[in-house]
Amino acid sequence: MSAVISARGLTKRYGKVVAVDHIDLDIPSGRIVGLIGPNGSGKTTALKTILGLAPFEGELSVLGMDPRLHRDALMEQVCFIADVAILPRWLRVQDAIDFVAGVHPKFNRVKAEQNLASTKLKPTMRVKEMSKGMIVQLHLALVMAIDAKLLVLDEPTLGLDILYRKQFYQHLLEDYFDQNKTIIVTTHQVEEIEHILTDLIFIRDGKLALTATMDEIGRRFCEVMVPAANTDVARQLNPIDERQVFGKAVMLFDGVPRPVLEALGEVRTPGIADLFVATMKGTYV
Amino acid sequence: MNTFKWLLQREYWEHKGAFFWAPLVVGALMTAFITISMVIALSGAGDGLRINGVNIAKLAAAMTPEQASAFAEKFIFSYAGITMPIFIVLGICIFFFCLGALFDERRDRSVLFWKSLPISDNATVLSKVVFAIGIAPVMAFVIATVTSLIIVLVVCVAAAAAGVNIFGSVMTNPATYVAPLQIAAILPIYAMWALPTIGWLLMVSAWARTKPLLWAVAVPVMAGIMMSWAERLLSLGVDVAWFWKNIIGRLLGSVFPGAWLSVDKRMPESDSGSGALTAFSEVLQQSWQLLAGANLWLGAAAGAAMIYVAIRLRGWRDEG
Repeated sequence: MSAVISARGLTKRYGKVVAVDHIDLDIPSGRIVGLIGPNGSGKTTALKTILGLAPFEGELSVLGMDPRLHRDALMEQVCFIADVAILPRWLRVQDAIDFVAGVHPKFNRVKAEQNLASTKLKPTMRVKEMSKGMIVQLHLALVMAIDAKLLVLDEPTLGLDILYRKQFYQHLLEDYFDQNKTIIVTTHQVEEIEHILTDLIFIRDGKLALTATMDEIGRRFCEVMVPAANTDVARQLNPIDERQVFGKAVMLFDGVPRPVLEALGEVRTPGIADLFVATMKGTYV
Repeated sequence: MNTFKWLLQREYWEHKGAFFWAPLVVGALMTAFITISMVIALSGAGDGLRINGVNIAKLAAAMTPEQASAFAEKFIFSYAGITMPIFIVLGICIFFFCLGALFDERRDRSVLFWKSLPISDNATVLSKVVFAIGIAPVMAFVIATVTSLIIVLVVCVAAAAAGVNIFGSVMTNPATYVAPLQIAAILPIYAMWALPTIGWLLMVSAWARTKPLLWAVAVPVMAGIMMSWAERLLSLGVDVAWFWKNIIGRLLGSVFPGAWLSVDKRMPESDSGSGALTAFSEVLQQSWQLLAGANLWLGAAAGAAMIYVAIRLRGWRDEG
């Protein structure tokens, strides 16, 4: 399977600050990748280099193209929603549809209209009359009607209520995604995307802290509820994290065989959020 | 090419206020102003109806057909200039359109939306250029022509009410119909003449992080002031006046229609007596004569170069 994104030594500096620090990365087709990192870790910057919105150092190929040189050609295959509501204030819903239909060869007008039908948006409404959430809904409706090979969603559901968020991710998985598409999502609401991801990337200080498929995560990481009697033994296995829940120690292990851990207490696969917290320990210290 | 059409459509959606409603409102105000003046004059206030300083009521009784025709001629000459306010407003609107064209999208970050579509920086910036020097002037021209025709009718009706029938003379004078065509024939010259200002403003618009107006105006004006100051202090023999007129003036003032006439200092005499048609023909002729000089071509080349820089800047700019 050919890589949709392939990066070698990808680096982006803002003056003296290194926002993205020599990243090597390969993302194959047909994956849903969660790019997770604390604020200021370089998530958005990394995505911007992929989208041809920022110059960079190193090698980067997106769908076989250099995003610095072929942004316009690339955008026929790539769609993105940036982390802020960015539709121009004067734009009307119907004009937005007409415009995207006019310039984008892979835009499906019927789909866009269907997407909008489930919202409160009216065709004559202008962006400046919309609430934050409605702007996002319009943007999502447009983007989801484009048959792109790579979809980049940077905090796509910011400002949306929980009903719409659930519905959106459901829709993303069931109607939009297929084996020829690749989706990269960043969000702080990790729990909400956990079940749809196939791959996970943790980024910290511009470096990749963890790159794994969800299957690998399930095999590598175990969370164990350790009764008080076993805590000393468990600690000798070097848990990467330990917290207290109802007087019991909950420990997180990386690479310790499951049978070993099962002897110590109740074992389960950790949630991404817990894994994230454990991996990012010390970020704000 | 279809993409380009939509890009122009996009500019129209965004700037309908400045390029459709503004000239329409100015035209409507001018028509209303003239109509009200006529009504007041006809109702006997003041010293009667005056057109071009001629008191119609006094003339009416004694006017021979030749005099009426001469009067009509004189009126038609001024009628080509009647719509000047619309074109001045157009110049102002184009100035601010270009200044904001590549800046506003970065300020409100909608550039991220535009850049998420398969549209090149070339097409985006060129669509703004074409809108500024092609679409906008044509819209203003259409509105100006309709306005001037309405004003002619109002004046003719007013004159008739005062007892002078100039309908015939106005309607049979070729100038009535040729004047709009002459204005239309100037539009290509205007487009070329405006390029240095368009290019300069687009370049600043793509480059400035804040306050594009300040950069656009302050940089050339400060350069001019420095030169004037240095010249005064050291007498370097630099032609400062030339610099102000041909560099600063061209960078900032070329979007105002007819600006080249003041540069050439050969405005036609309004009372040359050679008739309305020839009077405006002179303006047209002067405008097209610019093609033979270096000023127009050098300016256009400089404008094209700055537009190219604006395109590259839009591509390179890292969107915060």
